[in-house]
Amino acid sequence: MTWLVIAKKDFRDAVQSRALWALVTVFVLLSLVSTYAYVQVPEMLGESTGATFAGLIFFTVGLTGLFVPLAAIVVCYKSLAGERELGSIKLLLSLPTNRLNVFTGKVAGRAGVLVFGLGIGLLVGLGFGSVLLGTLSPGVTLVFALVTLGFAAIYAGIMVGLSATTGSTSRATTLALGFFVVFELLWDVVPMALVYVVNGFSLPSTMPDWVFLVSQVSPSSAYLSTVVALLPGFAETAGAAPAQTSVGVEATAVEPDPFFLIPEVGIVVLVLWLVVPFLVGYYRFNAADL
Amino acid sequence: MAAIDIDGLTKQFGDVVAVNDLDLRVEEGEIFGFLGPNGAGKSTTIDILLDFVRPTAGTVTVLGHDAQREGEAVRRKTGVLPDAYHVYERLTGRQHLEFVLEMKGSSEDVNELLERVRIADAADRKAGGYSKGMRQRLVLAMALAGDPDLLVLDEPSTGLDPNGAREMREIIQEENERGTTVFFSSHVMEQVEAVCDRVAIINRGQLVAVDTIDGLRDATETGEVLYIYVSKLNEATIERVTELDGVGSASIDDGRIRVVVDDASKFAVLQAIDAHVTSIQDFSVVESSLEDLFVRYTEDEQEVRA
Repeated sequence: MTWLVIAKKDFRDAVQSRALWALVTVFVLLSLVSTYAYVQVPEMLGESTGATFAGLIFFTVGLTGLFVPLAAIVVCYKSLAGERELGSIKLLLSLPTNRLNVFTGKVAGRAGVLVFGLGIGLLVGLGFGSVLLGTLSPGVTLVFALVTLGFAAIYAGIMVGLSATTGSTSRATTLALGFFVVFELLWDVVPMALVYVVNGFSLPSTMPDWVFLVSQVSPSSAYLSTVVALLPGFAETAGAAPAQTSVGVEATAVEPDPFFLIPEVGIVVLVLWLVVPFLVGYYRFNAADL
Repeated sequence: MAAIDIDGLTKQFGDVVAVNDLDLRVEEGEIFGFLGPNGAGKSTTIDILLDFVRPTAGTVTVLGHDAQREGEAVRRKTGVLPDAYHVYERLTGRQHLEFVLEMKGSSEDVNELLERVRIADAADRKAGGYSKGMRQRLVLAMALAGDPDLLVLDEPSTGLDPNGAREMREIIQEENERGTTVFFSSHVMEQVEAVCDRVAIINRGQLVAVDTIDGLRDATETGEVLYIYVSKLNEATIERVTELDGVGSASIDDGRIRVVVDDASKFAVLQAIDAHVTSIQDFSVVESSLEDLFVRYTEDEQEVRA
């Protein structure tokens, strides 16, 4: 159980970091401003039905889908690579513990930091929104908050896992930013590019079904689908149709669907993002000369 | 049972052989000095003891446990002061020790430990603001926590002023009297000389000597060192000096000849050089110390041996 002690120490250490509090402040401000904007001027944001709590939730998903990856990079990119570069990892591993516990403790500690910061932001943002709208759906809010915090924890795992593969912080920075660029910024293009290549270097008139599956590999797309999967009725009220919007394709939901054309795929993808970076990160960390 | 048993240890980093077929045995209860110049392989060896680094070949057993397969068991009984460590800047000295005691499952008194290394007055300040010497003491306190059977100290006097270095030696001796085996590395002979029962000297990844301090002293006291200024100094001069009776070894040192005299009178050697090799302009005599021995063992590639 030394991982828990390590996680606690890591959390204690990180909570005193100014970068973390700057991040929390930014997120709180961002969610206040955007909530206000969403509620007050829904038509400006393309909502014809007016502001609803459901709409606010899906609006917030878009915000957290971008904020969580960036926050995870800031909080986690140095977690292990930095300790190796500085040598404090030697203090840690001089103690009666092992690398699995150190790695697990780091993931848990940094996830805790991210969940803590994000939790404050969500509380303030959604609280403010529900006051403005005069409604609150506690059940929905709880599910949404849990999924979002879980998403943050998974992202912490991805970033700590990347950090565990190297002993240089500049390399860790490159890996973290590279991951963000490929899986968050460019990923909308990747399925299209695949289709383009598979279709003989031209775009077909209707997108094949597997495009959805590929698009779901991006953690934040999977997160959006997970929210839709767990709050299905809610998603319709909000007019959110993640499968279409995320890839920019209209045709997906029309015909009888193959099994993977359901938002639940997002849950599976998120679980994979939890497990795979953990295994890869631990494998590399365990084999390294520190 | 040996506290540390190193057998055929080799570690390569790419093309560089950091440790080359090292055998070493440290007995329980002794203070063992691990001596060598920077880059000799001391830290790599210690890193392997603690499983920070995996050996290319060979085995290391610490307190009866295999260092690689049973690292956690080793570290449960070992207190460590690593080299090139870094403290957690944002945590106080007290928080560091609380964390370590929790990890070690020990219920010792934090204040008492801080007293022992004399930084109790800085307990509630963040370690980021500590001086190098205070950090060293803090990490020493972390090593002492949990009453370990073995202390592994990598360059423990780094960053300490002479007073601090003396206190460090006192703490090492106190711990040893409580039955703790102490294994510490240094590149300064003087520190090792003052406290160690036995010493190993390592150079370029290989063991060049293992002995008690007295044994090393006996080995050195037969030789004395002459530094001689001569009118003509070149490789041929050195070779001819080396061949003279009573000369242990000779080398060029800073524009002089450095001659180690074995079993002969210094006067006879000086006379022989002046008469048969080259005329002497000036000379000085240095009583050989352990430091000389250390220098001789670790720089011997520059000397022409008799």
